[in-house]
Amino acid sequence: MATEHQGAVESTEAPQHESGGLPQLQFEHWGGQIVWLLLIFAVLYTVLSKALLPRVSGAIDERGAKIAGDIADARRLKDEAEVQARAAAAEVAEARAKAQKTAADAKAKASAEAAERQAKEEAILAEKLAAAEASIQAARDAAMSQVRVVAEETAGAIVEKLTGKAASAAELKSALA
Amino acid sequence: MATPIDPMHQFMIQKIVTLPTVNVPGLGAIDLSINNSIAAMLLAATLIIVFYALAGKGEVVPGRLQTTGELLYGLVDGLTSSIIGHDGKKYLPFVFTLFSLILFCNLQGMLFGWTGNFLGFTASSQLAVTLTLGMMVILTVIGVGFAKNGLKFFKLFAPSGVPWPLLFLLVPIEFISFLIRPITLALRLFGNMLGGHVVLKIFATFVAILLAMAPAYWAVGALALSSVVALTALEFMVAFLQAFVFAVLTCVYLNDVVHLDSH
Repeated sequence: MATEHQGAVESTEAPQHESGGLPQLQFEHWGGQIVWLLLIFAVLYTVLSKALLPRVSGAIDERGAKIAGDIADARRLKDEAEVQARAAAAEVAEARAKAQKTAADAKAKASAEAAERQAKEEAILAEKLAAAEASIQAARDAAMSQVRVVAEETAGAIVEKLTGKAASAAELKSALA
Repeated sequence: MATPIDPMHQFMIQKIVTLPTVNVPGLGAIDLSINNSIAAMLLAATLIIVFYALAGKGEVVPGRLQTTGELLYGLVDGLTSSIIGHDGKKYLPFVFTLFSLILFCNLQGMLFGWTGNFLGFTASSQLAVTLTLGMMVILTVIGVGFAKNGLKFFKLFAPSGVPWPLLFLLVPIEFISFLIRPITLALRLFGNMLGGHVVLKIFATFVAILLAMAPAYWAVGALALSSVVALTALEFMVAFLQAFVFAVLTCVYLNDVVHLDSH
């Protein structure tokens, strides 16, 4: 850089402080600043690039990998849980179907039994009814025949009382028919 | 401004430790004494190393310091990988060293200015420093350019897909724009740090002067004070932004020579 040559020339003017003009253009200070800056930059670059920055990027990468791994784990677990949930739902549906079938079977069996029993009872009742009707019929027939006999006797008595002579049994029968 | 306080005083170089002057043939005498500018840069480098020694603990769940360190690292990492692309990782330490050194130099002037000694000296307001940084960037760009492309490096000055008569115009323009890159880099940083600091100093001086005058002027003083507060906030932003801009442009210039084929 050409500035150092000028710095050598201007170094005689160094003491004039408040003379106006930029302090930055006092070229006698340039050489030292440039050399030291290069030195500082080289040391800083070396320390940062070899020692410090790899640790920072390492931490960032490690964190990224950890987060990605955790997310993958979570996703895998979620998939597993979904499969299990689906299986459980299928099991529940199957159980429900089975239960419904069992209930329907029991109901059918019960109603069949009830119908059978009812039919049996009805048959017995019908038999009893028929027997009762028959006995009533018999009693009525007996009573009716009894009535005829009573009527013949009564008619015979009435005729005997009125006419003084008894009517024959055949006459009475034909008169009452 | 006839004030007892010179706004340029903060940029004066003051010797702290006297070291021998070395005579380099062809360059002249170089005074290696440690002055306040060099001490500020040494402090910045020390602070960066201490900061990353503490922040780089490498824990999976980071603390505050580590988070801040990783934030700055991630910022530069994002720059190199988004601008230079896949090859960017190789240039990360260089860009990061530039960025962190400039950032710490800028911030020291803002944070430790009250001490009034080298701790609060803004080394990045020294043209010698910014120009050296600019030259380092451009020499690195040239070095990488030749190492990667050999003599094809000169294609940088001749954009492809241009009708050949235009090249007579374009090549000199490209060449000059390449040559002034270190100067623009240096002047941008230098000018921002210088200008902001001078304005801050002038406004702050203004407050003191107005306070010393009749109470009727105090309202104006309050106005000046509030602008100092606002400017201080702005200067902190500029301190960060200029370091960032320097890093971005370094990446852009490196990208030009790393991906010369697609240029």
